[in-house]
Amino acid sequence: MTTAPPRPALVPKPTSRWARLRRRHGWLIVTAGFLLVLFFWRFSQLPKFGGFELRTITAGAMVVAFLGMGQAIVIISGGIDLALGAAMVFANCLSALWMKGQHTGMCFLLAIAVIAIGAAIGTIVGTTIVLSRVPDIVVTLAYLFVLSGAALLILNQPGGGTAQGFRSAVAGGLSQPLPSILWTVGVLSVLWMPLKRSTLGVKLYAIGGNRAAAYLAGVDVSRVRVVAYTLGGMFAGMAGVINTAYTGSGDPRSSIGLAATLSSIAAAVLGGVALTGGVGGLVGPVLAAVVLGLIPAIMLGEGVDPNLAQVVQGCVIIVVVMIGTWLAVKRRAT
Amino acid sequence: MSAVTAPADQASWRDRLAERPFVALFGVFAVLYLVTGIRDHGLFTENGLRAVLLLTCPLAIFGAAETLCMLTGGISLSVTMTANLAAYVAASKSHLGTVPAIGLALAVGVAVGLVNGLGIGVFKVNPLIMTLGMSSVLLGITTVGLVGNGFLAGTTQILPVVTRISTGTLVGPIPSNAVVLAVIAVLLIWGLGRTGIGRLIYAIGDNTTASRLAGVKLWQVVIAVYIGTELLAAVAGLLYSGISGGVAPDQTNSYLLTAIAAAVLGGTSIFGGQGGYAGTILGALSLTVLDRLLTSLNTSDAVRQVVYGLVVLLLAWLYARVTGRRLLS
Repeated sequence: MTTAPPRPALVPKPTSRWARLRRRHGWLIVTAGFLLVLFFWRFSQLPKFGGFELRTITAGAMVVAFLGMGQAIVIISGGIDLALGAAMVFANCLSALWMKGQHTGMCFLLAIAVIAIGAAIGTIVGTTIVLSRVPDIVVTLAYLFVLSGAALLILNQPGGGTAQGFRSAVAGGLSQPLPSILWTVGVLSVLWMPLKRSTLGVKLYAIGGNRAAAYLAGVDVSRVRVVAYTLGGMFAGMAGVINTAYTGSGDPRSSIGLAATLSSIAAAVLGGVALTGGVGGLVGPVLAAVVLGLIPAIMLGEGVDPNLAQVVQGCVIIVVVMIGTWLAVKRRAT
Repeated sequence: MSAVTAPADQASWRDRLAERPFVALFGVFAVLYLVTGIRDHGLFTENGLRAVLLLTCPLAIFGAAETLCMLTGGISLSVTMTANLAAYVAASKSHLGTVPAIGLALAVGVAVGLVNGLGIGVFKVNPLIMTLGMSSVLLGITTVGLVGNGFLAGTTQILPVVTRISTGTLVGPIPSNAVVLAVIAVLLIWGLGRTGIGRLIYAIGDNTTASRLAGVKLWQVVIAVYIGTELLAAVAGLLYSGISGGVAPDQTNSYLLTAIAAAVLGGTSIFGGQGGYAGTILGALSLTVLDRLLTSLNTSDAVRQVVYGLVVLLLAWLYARVTGRRLLS
């Protein structure tokens, strides 16, 4: 009996390091590149680029960055939180009310308390979603109303205050970009990096990527979902406290809450977090928040009508997501 | 000894209710109406009923817009911006005459819907993001148009016919804008239930992959749906400008979330494939009456908002429990 000549073994080519890098961090690299381009554009516009200019960029983007981080966690876990902006407003008003007239040390303690309350709010929202089995969009929509109203109950008009020392420590004095940068990087490294590598982090990605598979693999889906919303609420609390430090007051207007929520979703999506869940990280949203903040500044610098900034921002969001979706479809097709 | 089994035809009241969610909805509305009427006797008068209907109409039309796109599994966050822009266009171009002005306003709706539909249907952008970005774009366009010698600058004059329809009375307790609502309702309910495209809308919402494999041209249906959504939003914007007597870049913004709530409470699943406009109308009526109830309680704006949110949550929860609907797919 004749044997056929041996067929060459079909061994898949190992993916190159470049391909792996591109797959895991591609979006982040592009976002960072985009940010650098915008940064240098802004740099070239200003006659003098010192601490003041840098601080305006970093501190101004801090609130959206933190909200984007919170929203990113919720979206990664497969949900969405439309009430996050309202929670930020609530935290802003509560901290401004309590911190008024207090000294810096007390302000920090109060900040921790408000952040804890933000986390508790997140737990309530998450528990409602899990227990009622009503879709998260509807539940968080309802809580948007509740939290906006609650903020108004605390502060029925813009007011409140905080210690100057607290303001400088968190948002930096007018020419100090370092505090805002340090806080953001600090939270990312201390809170997110360990979390991402922990079991809980894996579970967050799992329930977002394929909830049924995660459940079958033994993940307590309900509990992890609640934890995701709790973390989102905690970041919203942080964003609120940062807002108090940045503006020095509390503003209960509900329009701010809705706009903040929408910005957080935009920052998350632009930062590479897919709305379907299970994809992305927290560094992207932070970079995206800075990008979103730079666009109006650059346009103002170019002498373009700043109102067009809205148009440009909207278009950027749409175009970026379009490209991202096209890339994802292309990747799946190969 | 044989076990006694319950006769198969004695379905529990809960099962029957699950099949006819409309009954549950109507029950909720009736209860709300009665409770509000007890506190605010004006509700039982002709004027009271008229006031409720008058305020419900813009909300119900926004609800129609949301229902339409929610049925395909999408959502539209740009409806209120479209409404504002359409109202502005009609008001600032009113000197061209009634028909051209209204035509331009409706054209705004069609244009926005077309862009949304293209992004969502052809480029597969997530509806939340697409309409979110679009609302930013529209706000920018409106603001740019208002500046200096932009295309919206100049005196604005609400068209007399718009004012007459939005604020007039047809007969007794029925306001004129109920006619607009009735026309839209008939078109939507008949269109969704009895036409081919209506079936397609439910199909792609229920199971997009199956629809695509069955040969449905998804992008065509999606574009049609979003054009319809934004067109309805434009109509709602015109009506609202008549009621409020003016135009502003953000005047209908509070309707966005309420419209989504109305559609959800009316039984339209946010995931698509389930629901209809009849429920949304009831949802809109219920929410308007709820708002009136809270106003009659003479509490502050803040308390009203908190209670409003809690009640919406409670109603959605109840609805899910009573009808046994798995709102989570």
